[in-house]
Amino acid sequence: MKERVLVAMSGGVDSSVAAALLVEQGYDVVGATMKLFCYGDDVPDRPCCSLDSINDARRVCQQLGVPHYVLNLESAFGRDVVGNFVDEYARGRTPIPCVRCNTFTKFRDLLHKADAIDASFIATGHYARIVDGALHRGLDPRKDQSYFLWGIHRAVVRRMLLPVGASTKPETRAIAHRLGLEVVAEKTESQDICFVPDGDHTKILRQRLGAEAPALSVGPLVLSDGRQVGTHQGYARYTIGQRRGLPGGFPEPMYVVDIRPNERAVVIGPRAELLGRGVVARELNWLGEPPALGANVLVQIRHRATPAAAEVVRVGADEIELALDEPVAAITPGQSLVLYDDTRVLGGGIIEAARRVRSALPILAA
Amino acid sequence: MPEPIYLDHAATTPVRPEVREAMEPFFGPRFGNPSSLHRWGREARVALDEARERVAVCLGARTDEICFTSGGTESDNLAVLGAWRARRAQGRNAVVSTPIEHKAVLAAVHQASREGAEERLCAMTTSCTVDTHSFDDLVRPDVAVASVMWVNNEVGTIQPIEELAATANARGVLFHTDAVQAFGKVTIDASRVPFDILSISGHKIGAPKGCGAVFVRRGTVLEPLFHGGTQDRGRRPGTENVAAAVGLARAAELTIAEHVEECAKLTAFRDRLERAIVAAIPDAVVHGRGARRAPHILSVSVPGTDSESLLMALDLQGIACSAGSACQSGSVTPSHVLTACGIRADIASASIRMSFGSLTTDACIDRVAAVFPTLVRKARGQSPMPAASAVGV
Repeated sequence: MKERVLVAMSGGVDSSVAAALLVEQGYDVVGATMKLFCYGDDVPDRPCCSLDSINDARRVCQQLGVPHYVLNLESAFGRDVVGNFVDEYARGRTPIPCVRCNTFTKFRDLLHKADAIDASFIATGHYARIVDGALHRGLDPRKDQSYFLWGIHRAVVRRMLLPVGASTKPETRAIAHRLGLEVVAEKTESQDICFVPDGDHTKILRQRLGAEAPALSVGPLVLSDGRQVGTHQGYARYTIGQRRGLPGGFPEPMYVVDIRPNERAVVIGPRAELLGRGVVARELNWLGEPPALGANVLVQIRHRATPAAAEVVRVGADEIELALDEPVAAITPGQSLVLYDDTRVLGGGIIEAARRVRSALPILAA
Repeated sequence: MPEPIYLDHAATTPVRPEVREAMEPFFGPRFGNPSSLHRWGREARVALDEARERVAVCLGARTDEICFTSGGTESDNLAVLGAWRARRAQGRNAVVSTPIEHKAVLAAVHQASREGAEERLCAMTTSCTVDTHSFDDLVRPDVAVASVMWVNNEVGTIQPIEELAATANARGVLFHTDAVQAFGKVTIDASRVPFDILSISGHKIGAPKGCGAVFVRRGTVLEPLFHGGTQDRGRRPGTENVAAAVGLARAAELTIAEHVEECAKLTAFRDRLERAIVAAIPDAVVHGRGARRAPHILSVSVPGTDSESLLMALDLQGIACSAGSACQSGSVTPSHVLTACGIRADIASASIRMSFGSLTTDACIDRVAAVFPTLVRKARGQSPMPAASAVGV
């Protein structure tokens, strides 16, 4: 009997090819498109998640001769992903909703649906790989999406199939053409957050928090010594490392180096102030054993950031602190801290704070 | 996989061979426009008039009281909006309906409300029937039209149309009933029950999609939805779909002729499946059980499951059912009907509608009775997954 796999299909080329490859490999494929967010009528040309995308996924499944379903996960997604997104911005942080969508929506809620239909596996079009039951980076460094997958429960990894993780994007498109999936083969990629279709995240913050919310209200732009150098239109418009929208007239290029929601302040400073020598993260999740104190690991603090060598100087159930061998710029609360051993994802957490000075390992009493 | 089983007759039915045969000539030699004065036109016109007469007979109506439409949705819109627009200026600006109506009625009521109507929705009982006291209270002399469906499409409950129509009638309020699911399942007789407007749909009774009719009692004025020629006394401009009208008439006649025997058969199917499900899953909730129900619909919720997962699992076993109502994307939304009847949200979002008809056999019922409990067990089983709070929250 063929093993059943539930494939999460966005209507894009990656997940369509994932489904097609699994059909080729002899799996009993069931396609599913998650309906996560209702745009109303005003986003006709969004490449992903819209009604057109659902229809594309359905057409691909029809062509592959496999069933396709639309699963309404709107309320859970609204709670677990959108709600958190709004809360994080209100706290002056910069969240990554895709991480929580993977953790809760795709690899938890969707897995429950998979259980209900007796599917042994769940598959997506992510560029990451499962090797010997462990999660690894995708082979194409420009497409690697393993950074977004650290939060999934360790027991789920052995039920995951990531068929395009060993391909490059051009290879995936070539496979789409070879398999005759012309509907999706040349579709453009979605870069935005799916529920922020026009790239302006303040719109949904205004909807949920109200236009008068502190995060969207005027506040001071200050230097790290406290001197005010201007005003801003709401700290939720800023993220650590941002240069856009800052006043000029300084001897050096200036960056956002801190956000202080209690004072509604956005702190700006030169590049030197952007550098961190340590990082603290919470909301931890480990795909294997938690790293040991003193362990040397690679850490990534942002999507597409170069992995940095680090040492674990403190690790508990709820919090980890790493000392960085070299300074790293723009460590941003709300982003993910992901630990790697070479290409293998060890796990990660949500960045809580940067440390300006390097912490040392505690000296343990003999 | 074993032979697929279609338990979704309340969604749509296959076109009956007799109906196809009756329609055939109107796609070919008898293609004329019924408004033309020549022989082609006359032939089409005669067929159309005959079809109208035959549908009228099926409803206990007079021929001129039947207006052909594109289906249930158009009939409902014409009834609700047409009646309100025609009467709003006469001191009757309110519209009364129920929260369990098909979206075709509910959305038309909402549209009237956007255009200035006062919208009043009746309270419901937990058996999914209209609270008649609430209806009585809301239907006052300032109401243009009251619209209550005869048989609910999700649960199958029969509403007390005789009583409601009489109440409305006594207060000069036009009474419309959406009888799309009722036709052929309950006795409909316009000469006995004082409804003013009644909607039926072709594809629920073996005619094609895209055809239906609305009964409009003599003397009832409706503002038309469309503007154009004088077809159908101006109530419904546009060249008539003669083939569809003929098909609808044939399907309606067959349905009425078979009605007693068919209802007995469907009742037996439903009762047998219901008993089997409740025996295997003692905590299963059968909706509308306390009320009179049409025989072709069984609506059941299993606590601890959700409609979506169960429908998928059923479909993968070749068994076609549905939930409340599907949205355009094809995804399942929690039933507005059950929610309005005070059913708990987790139960409402677990409802499965099985509906019986021409394709149902004893073997279908046996197989579903055997498979359903198995799928339920699976859907209720939790995977080895942590609760939300355990992972990075």
